[in-house]
Amino acid sequence: MDLLEYQVKEWFGKIGIPVLPSQRIDHPTDLKRLKIRFPIVLKSQVHGAERAKAGGVRFAQTTIDAIAAAQNIFSLPIWGELPEVVLAESKYDANQEFYLAVVLDTAVCRPVLLGCKEADIDWESAGERMHHVVVEQEFSPFYARRLALKMGLQGTLMQSVSSVVEKMYQLFIQKDLDLVEINPLAVSATSQVMALNGKVRVNERAIKRHPDLAEMAAKIISRHSSTEINSILGNWNGVKMHGKIGILGNGTGSVMATLDLVANAGGNPGVCLNLRHAFLTDTRPTTFRDRLETSLKILEADKSIQVILINFLGSIPQIEEVTEVIARFVQQENSELQSQVVHSNGSKNSRERNFTPLLVRLAGSEFKAARKYLATLKTHTDALLVVENLDEAVAAAVLLAKPTVNKK
Amino acid sequence: MNLTPESKVLIQGFCEFISSTHVAQMKAYGTNLVAGVNPGCGGQELHGLPVFDLVEEVIEQFGAIDTTIICVDPYDVLDAALEAIASNIRQIIIITAGVPPLDMVQLLRKAEACETLVIGPNSPGIIVPGKILLGTQPSEFYTPGSVGIVSRSSTLTYEIAYELTKAGLGQSISVSIGSDAIVGSSFLQWLQILDEDETTQAIVLVGQPGGGSEEAAARYITEAIDKPVIAYIAGRQAPPGKTWRQTGTLATVIGRDPNFGTAQSKLAAFKEAEVPVAERPSQIPELLRKEIN
Repeated sequence: MDLLEYQVKEWFGKIGIPVLPSQRIDHPTDLKRLKIRFPIVLKSQVHGAERAKAGGVRFAQTTIDAIAAAQNIFSLPIWGELPEVVLAESKYDANQEFYLAVVLDTAVCRPVLLGCKEADIDWESAGERMHHVVVEQEFSPFYARRLALKMGLQGTLMQSVSSVVEKMYQLFIQKDLDLVEINPLAVSATSQVMALNGKVRVNERAIKRHPDLAEMAAKIISRHSSTEINSILGNWNGVKMHGKIGILGNGTGSVMATLDLVANAGGNPGVCLNLRHAFLTDTRPTTFRDRLETSLKILEADKSIQVILINFLGSIPQIEEVTEVIARFVQQENSELQSQVVHSNGSKNSRERNFTPLLVRLAGSEFKAARKYLATLKTHTDALLVVENLDEAVAAAVLLAKPTVNKK
Repeated sequence: MNLTPESKVLIQGFCEFISSTHVAQMKAYGTNLVAGVNPGCGGQELHGLPVFDLVEEVIEQFGAIDTTIICVDPYDVLDAALEAIASNIRQIIIITAGVPPLDMVQLLRKAEACETLVIGPNSPGIIVPGKILLGTQPSEFYTPGSVGIVSRSSTLTYEIAYELTKAGLGQSISVSIGSDAIVGSSFLQWLQILDEDETTQAIVLVGQPGGGSEEAAARYITEAIDKPVIAYIAGRQAPPGKTWRQTGTLATVIGRDPNFGTAQSKLAAFKEAEVPVAERPSQIPELLRKEIN
C-alpha cells in the first residue's frame, strides 16, 4: 500500500525527519484559514506519478491565487484519480537536491540503504551515481554514516544526512515498509536538510498488524472500485488479465502453472486468484472457505469471465465446507438459469444469461468424498465438470470458453 | 539435515494450515511426532498430541528436539521460531504463509548466527517417500524412488510428484522451500543435499518469477552438480509482477540485469546451463527418462 504525500509527511514529522510547515486542504475555502506563510506550493494528493507534469503542483503568492489553483487541482484527475486532499506547503529554496531510500531487497534478504547526490535520477544509468549499503546485521547508525560517506558528504552535512537515513530506517522497521524514499532531500545554502517529497510503501502482508494502517486500507477499500484498490493497495495475491477463463487455486505456483497451461492451449486467462493467503481487501481474518466464496463472487460479477477453472490438489483447509460452497454456487447458477429459460423461452444463448460454468480439477484422496458428492448434483450439462487430470481440465476449460461451443 | 525416522519432531501452533489429517498422516508415515506447543492450551490434547505452553517444557519432558514444524499465525511466526532457536532446535519448517518479510529478515539473521536451517515460510515441508514426512505434503502422490524434487511452490511440488508417480518414476526426497518473497533455505543448499544423497539419481527443480534464486541455481548446477537436472518454471505467461522497481531500480543500482526476476531471465539461465526445461508438469517424466537412460 502506498501512502499519500501528506500522510508520509505526518509520519516524517513525528519521527523527526525535517519537513516544511504544511497544511491539509480538504476544500479550496480552507485556504482562507491558512496558518502557513506565502508563498506556498499546492500539491495534488494522488497515488499516480508525474503529478507535476500533469499540472498537479502549483505555486501561489496570495489567497486568491491559491484558491483558484486549488479549485483547479481538485478538478484535475491524474491517471484517473481525483485528489480528495490538496497539500499546501511553504516554498523552500534548495541549493542542492539528493535522493535517499531504504528498501527491502528480497534477493539478498536484507534492507538496503540507497543514496544519490542527484534527485532526478535516470534509473537506466543510475549505476555509478547511486550508492548503496546493505544492512547485514542489526541496524546501527554507522550504516547510515557509511552511506553518507559513500555519497561523498563531509562534516555537518554528512551527519545531518545520515541522521535522516537513520530515522528513515526506524520508520521502515516500525511500520513494516517495503520502501521509504525521500526525493528530493533539499539542502539549503546553510546546509540545512529538508524532505520536500516522500514516498512510503507498506508491506501488504503486515498491514493488519498496524491498526492505523488497517484503518487507512479500509478507507481505500470503501472508497474505490476493485481495480483501483489493486493499484493502490498492491498486488492482492492474484493476477489480473482480461481473458475469459477465471482461475482459482490453492497456491501461487499452481495458479501460475494453470495460467500457463490455459494460455498454451489457446485460451485466454482472466482474473487468477490464489486462495492460500487472505486477500488484502479482507479487513477481518478469513478462512479458505470465505476466500473461495468471495472469489467465486468476484469472478461471477466479472463480465469477461465465461468459465471458472478451479485447480485444487493435495489438501485444502475445511474441505467439506468448501465442497458446499461449490455446490451452492452451481445450484444457484442452475436455478437462475432455469428461471431465465422459462422467461426467455430458451431463445438466448447461455452467455447472455450471466451463467458461468465451473470446471473443478480435484486431485488427491482427500477429495474423494468431494468428487462423489459433486457428481450427484443435478446440473445443467455445462454447469459443473469435475476432472482429475490437469491437462484435461485445461483443455475442457478452453473448449468451454470458445463461443462456437456455446452457441448450440 | 537429519531426515531419519528417529529424529524427534515438535509442532508449534495449530492454525488453518495444519489439520488432524496432516498430523495423522505424519504419524502413519512413521514421523516421530512428540508434542505440540500452543500457548494457553498446555495440558490439553490437540490432534492426538499432548500440548504444552512452552517449547522448553517439551524438551524437559522428551529431551532434545531435532525438528519443529511451525504452524502459528503469520504474525507469531518470528516469536515461535526464536523460541525454538532458544531451545536449541536447529531445523525449523515454517508451514504458515504470508509472514511479514521484515520478520523473516530478523529470523534469518538469528538463524545464520546459530547455524539453524529454516525451511519456508509458506512451505509444505519435506517428504522422503516411504520413510518420513515432515510437514503437510500429501503423501499419496509419492512413491519411493530416485528422483529428487526441490521447488519454490507448494502445490506444484505435489503436482510434479503426481506426474512422476503416474509415469512410474518414484521420488527420493521432495522439498518445497516456500513461495514467500523471503524464505530460509535456498535452492543451492537443497541441490547440494540432493547431489550428496545416494538414493537420488536425478533432480527436478521447480521455479517461478521473482528474485534471482533460479539463476543462481542454474549457475551452481553447471559448476557443482553432476546428476541430471530438469527444470520447470511456472508463470511464463503471467504479466510481470510489480515488485517495487526491483526489476529496474535496484537492479541497475546493484549491477543487476534489467530483466532481473522475470521468468524469461530464469529460462535464459537454464538454457545457458544446458538444463532441459519442461513446458508443462506432465512433460517432466519424458524429459527425465531421456536424462536417466
